[in-house]
Amino acid sequence: MTDDERCDWCEEVLQPFLDRNLTDAERQEAEEHLQKCKYCRKRYHFEEGLRLLMRQAEPMAPALKKRLSELRLEL
Amino acid sequence: MSETSENEARRLAEDARDRVNFEEEALALADQVYRVARGVSRSKEEAEDLMQETYARAFRSWQSYTPGTNLRAWLLRILTNLNIDRGRRAQRAPDQQPLEETDYFLYNRLEQATGETEAERVLERLSQDHVAEALSAVPHDFRDVVVLVDIGDFSYADAAQILDIPIGTVMSRLHRGRRILKKELAEVAVET
Repeated sequence: MTDDERCDWCEEVLQPFLDRNLTDAERQEAEEHLQKCKYCRKRYHFEEGLRLLMRQAEPMAPALKKRLSELRLEL
Repeated sequence: MSETSENEARRLAEDARDRVNFEEEALALADQVYRVARGVSRSKEEAEDLMQETYARAFRSWQSYTPGTNLRAWLLRILTNLNIDRGRRAQRAPDQQPLEETDYFLYNRLEQATGETEAERVLERLSQDHVAEALSAVPHDFRDVVVLVDIGDFSYADAAQILDIPIGTVMSRLHRGRRILKKELAEVAVET
């Protein structure tokens, strides 16, 4: 398989793979495929990076944290 | 003090201790809950309001939480219900847009647009602002699922429980929601 030869093999399993929602056998098969297929591996790294980017939203403002703490019921 | 009033005093003290523990655990999760709030809200201000309403309700109804169960999921169930109740979501027509057939669509578009061939370089084309803008364009039913799984890192089963929908619906909305998100991301990152 050449570097950029189009491959649709793991397109269907890429998302469940990232969601940790494959069986052990399917997961192993996906990992083996990713090792040898650069086309899918690049896209896998991209999807993984995209999720990280989505999770790095700006943190909560300290003022909000304080307001939440003040909502606690009085003893 | 009589035995009855001693028992009553002990019970009240235990209750107060449980409540303080609950409040501390809930506040310790606030950063994680906020990420989801921000993902399902159109603005930072809206996310902050939603957080305050969520925590006010959680603190009032702390006794309905079962200790030892998933507190983060419990808080997010309150949050997503409040978000539905407040009509914050009545903004978009039902989703009928045609979608790209391939999950690799966004990568392929960005690779083409940037001329880069390494995933890390291609990814640099995208920013937090792009993600926020694209997410706000995804219809709410799909967005809630994508935010819970992709940002909140919840399992399909937890997302189903939080949103009170079947797991099969989580999976189909997730599939479509991610495609819509990618289409929007391509628009904001490439075509502007």
